[in-house]
Order: sequence, then structure tokens, then C-alpha cells
Amino acid sequence: MSLISPLALLAAAVIGPLIVAMYLLKLRREERPVSSTFLWQRMVRDVEANAPWQKLRRSLLLLLQLLLMLLLVFALARPFLAAQGISGRNLILIIDHSASMSATDEPPTRLQAAKARAYQLIDQLPDGGRATVIAAGGRMAVPAAATADRRELRRAIEQIQPSNGGGSDLAPALTLAAALAAREEDSEVAIISDGNVTLPTNVRVPARVSYFPIGRTTENMAISAIALQPATSGQTLFVQATNYGQAVASRRLDLYLDGALFNAYNLSLDPGREQSIIAEIPAQVQVVEARLAGDDALPADDRAFAVSSVGEAVTVRVVTPGNRFLETGLSLLPGIRTTSVPTSTTTFSETVAQVPVTIFDGVVPAELPPGNLFFINPVRSSPYFSVTGTIEFPLLRPSGGQEPILRNVSLSEVSVLKAARIVPGSWGRVVVDSDGGPLLVVGEREGRRVAVLAFDLHESDLPLQIAFPLLLSNLMNFLAPGSGAEAAQLLPGQPLSRQVDEAISEVRVTRPDGRTVSSRTGEVQIQAGQAIYADTDALGVYLVEERAGEQVVGRHRYAINLFAPAESHIAAQRDLSVPQTSGASSTVSRERDSRQEFWRWVALVALIVLVVEWLVYQRNGLAYLRERWRQRRSTGSRPARS
Amino acid sequence: MPAVTTSAPLLESSFLRQLDRLALLTRRPMAGDIQGERRSPRRGASVEFADFRPYARGDDIRQIDWNLYARAERFYLKLFVAEEELQVHLLVDTSASMDWGTPNKLHYARQLAAAYGYIALANLDRVSVTAFGTGPLAAQLPGVRGKRGAVPLFAFLQRLQPGTGGDLARACHRYIQTARATGPLLLCSDLLDAGWKDALGALSSRPFEITIMHILAPQELEPDLDGDFKLIDVEGGPPVEISADLELIRRYKQQLASWRAELESYCNGRGITYLPVDTSVPVDEFVLGRMRRRGVLR
Repeated sequence: MSLISPLALLAAAVIGPLIVAMYLLKLRREERPVSSTFLWQRMVRDVEANAPWQKLRRSLLLLLQLLLMLLLVFALARPFLAAQGISGRNLILIIDHSASMSATDEPPTRLQAAKARAYQLIDQLPDGGRATVIAAGGRMAVPAAATADRRELRRAIEQIQPSNGGGSDLAPALTLAAALAAREEDSEVAIISDGNVTLPTNVRVPARVSYFPIGRTTENMAISAIALQPATSGQTLFVQATNYGQAVASRRLDLYLDGALFNAYNLSLDPGREQSIIAEIPAQVQVVEARLAGDDALPADDRAFAVSSVGEAVTVRVVTPGNRFLETGLSLLPGIRTTSVPTSTTTFSETVAQVPVTIFDGVVPAELPPGNLFFINPVRSSPYFSVTGTIEFPLLRPSGGQEPILRNVSLSEVSVLKAARIVPGSWGRVVVDSDGGPLLVVGEREGRRVAVLAFDLHESDLPLQIAFPLLLSNLMNFLAPGSGAEAAQLLPGQPLSRQVDEAISEVRVTRPDGRTVSSRTGEVQIQAGQAIYADTDALGVYLVEERAGEQVVGRHRYAINLFAPAESHIAAQRDLSVPQTSGASSTVSRERDSRQEFWRWVALVALIVLVVEWLVYQRNGLAYLRERWRQRRSTGSRPARS
Repeated sequence: MPAVTTSAPLLESSFLRQLDRLALLTRRPMAGDIQGERRSPRRGASVEFADFRPYARGDDIRQIDWNLYARAERFYLKLFVAEEELQVHLLVDTSASMDWGTPNKLHYARQLAAAYGYIALANLDRVSVTAFGTGPLAAQLPGVRGKRGAVPLFAFLQRLQPGTGGDLARACHRYIQTARATGPLLLCSDLLDAGWKDALGALSSRPFEITIMHILAPQELEPDLDGDFKLIDVEGGPPVEISADLELIRRYKQQLASWRAELESYCNGRGITYLPVDTSVPVDEFVLGRMRRRGVLR
């Protein structure tokens, strides 16, 4: 414990003698002649013999006043405790609220422990210090921005809820923190997390970064994959369980078909290994649940759901002069039914619900059909893009990052002979670029999804490579969302979207917790032929009902599972490597010069002493009042005399 | 508080008339100096037969019972109960502590002594007054007798001035040594002296019939103090510093009560009549009520 302004103690040297002097002056008691002090002497002798501290009592007021003075002076000296924590005046608090923070190894959950730590840090803020609270992982949120109001900060921290979706990417949060820290001096960034996060490499934080690890256990077993595919007879279920811990784990895997227990498997997994189970499931089963029996630190990944996709094929209209590659590729995709249409067709009468996707291979009709569109090798401009020429031998440059269209797709071996030079509108994002122009553009405009592949499949070796079926699958997932087994499985936070036509007046979603939301109340949005429900953070099966009037037209199930190895790896990291402008990159908690001031408590004690001093001074009056009250009560209980 | 030295009569005449009807009560016969109206332990001349005794040479032959001589052929004297006066001792403490309180304790003591003395004088008893408290020498009224003696008695009491302080025990010892005849003894004092036990012991060493008037002022019974005080003893005792609060006052009263209980039990053990007096009670009410009930007067 040290003092910030020890000079204030000098005040004690001045005020202390002053109080004593005044007390001594006051001590000249009023003299009162009495007949004899004989009785008083006897009594005082008695009292002094019985209580040696009686003499002290006479100067109790003096002692209290001196104590009060000392406490006030002490508070003025601003004492503080050196504590481990933060020392900056501008604190940027990043609290990880990703799924792994729901682990229960820190009772009640890691997130609660993180909040408790955050409260501590808020308490350590120096006077006038400000703090920003950033909830990172999943959807980033800033519930409190640069405020000195501790109550607001506490409220903001309290409001942070665990988020299952979105992964544990700290990049946006750290970028924001770096920007905030750059604006103000004496900043400090505190990361409260279990450390299973993705850190940016290109951000250099202009402040000290402290990391407060949360979490103890490393053991976790999870269901890492589940799939339910239509088979020749019935359905095939694929379940994969993974041991993310560091010790051998044995759990029982229970399978429930539409809520009824179907089978159980005893699993024993070495650390880091997974085990797959394939089971034949009757065709009429709608929902399969796989559940790991027993408890572990992270219960969220112990359950997974799969929904049946039997009879849910999506019709894809292919307008082509003949493309064997395309037809073969589409026929391999589950849940896709193709209908070929001659290139001479100019009018399309089917609704979106009947034919949601149309593929134009080498043709661009004057009138485009409703629904999503996929142009391959467009020969002329359309409302979505313009064709300005051709590119010879373009070099493919896939876009970086986590482009879902390019998931698992390697285009490095692909060569293209000739491609159309297209100029897409502002709707499109370029997935594959080249020197001459974009080669693959996807995007969304007025609720309609459009993809443009700029070259003819026959003029490239793409169809001969393994990348082609994968790219086609990804593209079809994009163009025909909500179709097939793959599409019925979503990650938490990913919006449920479904194409609906005009006949459907209401879309209802029944959530896993039993709550039903409807498009009537605006919770499910219907925009430009698409019904979208975004609040999918809860894990489980969502039932989407499409209604035309009072009649249920379509019923679809979606399963939302936490398949995130990064979240299931719950072992807390001891250090995070965050580059800082000071050159350091380690953020491990070490001895710090944090100051925890507690003059408020000292002042509070001084206030209590003041009250006690006043009570002692007024003790006679108080005793008199008590006596009076007692008398009144005793007379009040007596019946009134007549 | 100043001594009451007004010229107003010590006792009201109406009160005196009431006192005329009263008499002192003594528990046993007392010897006096001269003939009076009280039974004496001695044999003497009265109408009340007491005893016979054989004639011895020198006896008054007029007292021989001739009827008995006729029967027994021996000379016997017929003895009668002597009736003598009573020697009433009034002791008034005039120490400085007595000149205190409202109503004044010394004045009250004067009135009590006057009333008691007047009753005695009305019954033809001899009354002597001794006031001590001024020092080694006590003011004394040697002895008055008869109703005429009331005037000098009252005048003497009126003249009493409070002294500076005194040793109660020593004064009592001296008085016991010098008093000639025993008789009813009335001590009017506040006994606020460390030697009270010694003093009462000395008085009870001779067969007086002692009555203690323990006079305390209401300010002593219920001190009206609140705050920090330095209590100055008017007799020059050591000062006491107190921080008076209700708790202290409560303890003081407890102390006072236990002291009075101690006094009373001490007196009872020695045949002394102990009468606590509160000066706020009017003196006539006290004499006519309390003292009669207690059996001091009749």
C-alpha cells in the first residue's frame, strides 16, 4: 500500500495538535459546588475499580475526533493498493463471448467469470478513467463506448450474452481497439477470453495489451459432424464425434429419431481423434438427434441435429445447347433435379417456387425468368452485366479470405483459353479475378441471386479437375439455399432464408425453445421473394411453415449445430500474441503497477466515525428520549384514569 | 446557598399549638437530675408503689411501712417510683454541608430541633442543645426547662451559623464524654462524612435513646446534573470530576440508596431510630405524620 499524495499527511501534524489543544481548553469543566463529594467519591471509586477504561471513556470524544481526523487525512493522501490489473486511464475491454466461453469449467460459466474479471478491472479504473466495452467473437458489439460512468459500464458488461455463431475472430475487435487506443494517450487494451481466438496479424495495437485468461479444463468431446442423406432405401446417417481434449475420453452416443431413442454407441476416443458412425435410418424419420450422454465442460457441442431431406429436391432449369460436364455435375449433387430447356425458349411460365434456379449456358435471353440465375459464358449483355469483349488466356486469381463459393476449391491448376470480358454492376462481388476482368462474379440484387462464370466450360480444363464439382456444389448452395441435406444445416447466426412466391402470405418459424415467430409480427422478414429469419443463435431444429391464408403450404426443417472446432477446443491459452507498437507481442499477465485506490472506503469509515462521534456527544439526549419513550409506552398501556 | 437568618419565627404558632398535644416517647425509664414528670429508674417520692426493702440505719423513718412491721415485726421501707425530669439532648450538625440545598438543610434541622425541643419543654423536660461543625468548640445551650425555656431555645437555634466543616465522629465522642445524664438524643445531620459509622458508634456507647434525623436535600436525592462538571466540596473535600449522564445519575441514586440502607441496618443493630428526611417535605407534615408513625412522638 502506498500513497499518491503523502504530503497530505502533514495536515495531520497541524490539525491533530489543534484538536488536542481545543479539547484541553474544553476540558476545564464547569465547577459546581455540592454539599459533599462523599457519595460521588465512593461511586467514582467503584466505577474506576470496575472498569479501568473508564478514564478513557471520558476522552472518548477526543479519540473519536482524532480518529476522524486521521481517516480524513489518510483519505486525502489517496492510498492505493498495488494490484495486478490495468493501469491505463482509457481502458478498452474486449470480452470474448463466443461459444467456447459458455464452458462451465469456471462456475457458472466462463463468460460469467469473464464478466466478474471485467467488473474488477472497471473497479480498478483510476478516477476519471474511461472504458470501452467490446463484446468480441460472434457478432461484435460495443455496448459501452468511452464512458466514465461505472454503472453504465457494469450494465453494458452484464448485458453481454453468449453467442454460438460467428466464431472467435478478434480481428475486428482488435482493429477497433487499436483505432480507439490511437486516439487517446495512456490507453490499455484488456482481453478477457479463453484464448481460443483468431488474432489478426496486420494490426499493431498502439497500447499495452493485457490478456486475462479464463478457463481451466481442457477436456471436451463434441459431435463434430452430422449428415442425413437420402439413400436408395431410407436414409443414411453420418455422425462424427471428436475428442478435443488431451486425455482419452469415453462417452456414449445416443441417437434419437424424432425424439425416440434409436440406438446407442459407446465411444472411446484418444485425444484429437474422431470416430464416425454410419447408420441406416428409415425414410419417414424427419429429425435425427445425436447426443453425447453425460456432461462435459461445453454442453453446447454435445448435441447435434440433422433433418431429413427426402422429397425436397430443388428443380433447376438448364438452358443449354448441350453441356455434358454441367449435366453430370448437377446430377451428382443431392437434392437437385434438373430440367433441360432448349435454347430457343423465350418465355418462362413457372413460378419461383416451382423453378427457383435457372442456368443459362452460352445464351442470354431477352426476357429473364424469375428466380436465381447462373450465367455461363454469356454472349451478350444483360441487365446485370455488360459484355465488352473477350480475354485470351486469362490467369485465374481467386479472391482470398473465407469465400464460401471457393470453399475446398483449388483453382491453381485451372487454365482457361478464352473468356468473356464482363463488367458487372455494383451488386456483384468478384470471386475469381484475372488481368482482363472478372471471371466469376456472384451477388444479390433485388432479392435475386446471380452468378456469372465468364468462360465456356468447354474452353477450359476446369471440368476435368476435382475443383469443378466442388465449385458447382458451392454455387448451387448459393443459388438454391435451403435445398438438399447440406442446406438444411446451418451454423448458428447464419440466417434462415427461403425463397417464397407471392401466394404465401405468412411464414412461421418455430424455434428450438418452442417459441413461434411469424412474418406477421415482423420477426420473420419477407423481402423480394425471400423469407429471412436471422435470430438463429440458439442450437436445435427450426421448423419453417409457409402458409397461404390459413393453409399450410410447405413445411421445412433446418438444423443449427455448433460445428466449430475452434470453439470445441476449449483449452485455455496462456498467452496471446498481439503485436503492439511497443514491440512486445506477448500479453501474458505479469506484475503490473496497477493502482487500486480506496480513499472512498476510508472516507466512508470517516463518515461512520463522524456519526458515532455525534451519537456519543448526544448520548444523554438519546438516553433521555429512550427513557421518555419507555415511560410513554408504560403509561400508554395503562387504562386511562377517569 | 445562604443561611436562613430571617427574623421570621422558627415555627408557626399554629404548629406549636399542635405540638402541645404531643409528648416524647421513651422506651425505658431514664434518670434525671431533679424531680419531674417522667418515670425514673430510681426510687423516690411519688404515688406509685415500687418495692419494699429492709430498713437500714440512716433511712428516713417516715418511709417505714408500719402495717408490714405489725405483721413481720421487722422494719421495712416502702419504696415508690421516682418521677424525674428527662434530659433531652439535641445535637445539630452545622457543618458547611448542612448549609446547602433548597429548602435549606440547616434551617430544616433547626426547625426539627425546635419542634422536638418544644415538645420536651412542654412536658417539663430539660433540653440542652449542642451545635457542632464550627470547629473543636461546639456551641452549647446548657439546659432549659419548662415552657419558658422555649424562648432561649428558639433564639439559640436561630443564632446558629453554619461552620466551615467538622469532624462528626470527634464531636460525637466529645459529647458522649461530657454529657452528664442520658436521655433521648436527637441528632440532626446529613451524615455526609466518612466517619459516620464511628460517630454513631460513639453515641450508642452510652444508653441514650438516639434518633437520627438524616437530612438530605432534594438536590442530593435527585441530582440535576447533565454534562461535564467538577464537583467542589463545600467542606473542602477532594473535588470530583464527572461526566454526568443518565447512566451516572442512575448509579449515583443506586449508591445513595445502598448507603441509606447501610445506615439503617447499622442503626437498627444498635437500637437507634433512623429517620430519613427529605427537606422538600414541610416540617409540620414530617413531625406530625412521619415522626409519630415512627414512634418517636406520641
